[in-house]
Amino acid sequence: MTLHPVLIVFFFGLFTALATGGGAVPFTFVRTVSARAVAHANGIASGLMLGASFGLLIEGSEHGIYQAVVGANLGVVFILLTQRYLAHRDFPFGSATGLWARRTLLMVLVMTIHSVAEGIAVGAAFAGERSLAVLITAAIAVHNIPEGLAISAVLRPRGASVAACAGWSIFSSLPQPLMAVPAFLFVEAFAPTLPYAMGFAAGAMVFMVFVELLPEAYDHSRKPIVGLLVGITLVGMMWFQRYL
Amino acid sequence: MGAVILYSSIAAASAALGILPLISQRLFALRWVGWANALAAGLMLGAAYTLTVAGLDRAVLAGAAGALLGIGFIHVAHALSDTEDIELIDSAQSSTEHASKVFRRNALHAAPEGIAIGAAMAVNFTFGIFMALAMAVHNIPEGTALCEALRRRHQLLVGAAESVAANIPQVLLAVLTFAVVPTAPGLLPWALGFAAGTLVYLVMVDPLPEAYRQAGQTSIALVTSVAIGVVVLLNGLVVP
Repeated sequence: MTLHPVLIVFFFGLFTALATGGGAVPFTFVRTVSARAVAHANGIASGLMLGASFGLLIEGSEHGIYQAVVGANLGVVFILLTQRYLAHRDFPFGSATGLWARRTLLMVLVMTIHSVAEGIAVGAAFAGERSLAVLITAAIAVHNIPEGLAISAVLRPRGASVAACAGWSIFSSLPQPLMAVPAFLFVEAFAPTLPYAMGFAAGAMVFMVFVELLPEAYDHSRKPIVGLLVGITLVGMMWFQRYL
Repeated sequence: MGAVILYSSIAAASAALGILPLISQRLFALRWVGWANALAAGLMLGAAYTLTVAGLDRAVLAGAAGALLGIGFIHVAHALSDTEDIELIDSAQSSTEHASKVFRRNALHAAPEGIAIGAAMAVNFTFGIFMALAMAVHNIPEGTALCEALRRRHQLLVGAAESVAANIPQVLLAVLTFAVVPTAPGLLPWALGFAAGTLVYLVMVDPLPEAYRQAGQTSIALVTSVAIGVVVLLNGLVVP
């Protein structure tokens, strides 16, 4: 019995999504909920997200430099508008309220949107040669682990359980199986959107880092500590992306 | 070699422009210093990315190890020189003591910045000019900080002169790096990594937190993000 190609693409996309949950595992050992823990976690998430964005921007501009630029600008504007929209409303996110709830929601939103680009990449890859597609999917799955780490780093010190961290990490990657299937079926229509989607993801993540994560990190931690955390995780992320 | 001296000297001399916001607050408000800082932060992060990629492409382990070495070096050097956690522009602390700390910190930063210019020049001439330009933008707010520290003593011009003097290590190390690296090709990924690591660390401890204090975080985030985007995209055109 052979599986329908659409199902295969869906399961590979689902596999990359589940890998994101692996990023929550190291946070089994983090229990403290303090402003300083949040600040340090923000530093780690910032380094990981900057590294991921650099990679996306380079890859996106290889597919189309102007499309990637347009996408990146739209990503920045999108976060700016969402931030403005959320600023005037108060709503709880899990056990968090107020500013923390807003940051947490924004973080899940940013990472979920950024997965759309990866979903399209998986689907487009499967429209080509199968063995190469499996390789690309495996690479995306591995890259998802530090992305889950970034989400968990923001959620966990604010009181979310490890299961919730893993759950939201996987949730943020659900666009991957969902986008992989249409991208696979209608590759001619979807392939041109790839540089836009990659640029959008990079713009949204970079802007999120500078408008929300780092200012909060400086408010509650010391500059040398932020420098160390961002520096080491950024270098680590880039080394990781280059090596794998 | 002449070009290395010329461009690193231009970068060093631009520190004197830091006096401008203090001469005329109306023409050059503190917000502008904030935006200059944000622009410098974005350019330096983009440059650090380009340096890291260039380093990792040549030797994965040496590039990464050089970066960690750079981060460790600047972190320890700050602690040893007692300039670890100071606010650069701090009008409450307008004293000779504070000015001397700012001078030491600027001079300390100038060293790895020089390595960055030299290493970038060794990779590609255009990339080197770009790196010197990024450092020039970064040197201006550093100059402002030093002038501000000497302002109460009516020594603005001394401040401008000292700002340029603090950047002499930048020219020296740019020349040294550019001269030494081609003779030992194994050194290049180390130098590239070292420069990239220190640049990221420097952005996180100086221009970026300073910028947030000088202008609103939304405008700072916008300027920084756009600057990174421009550099990363130029990257494809400048570095083959």
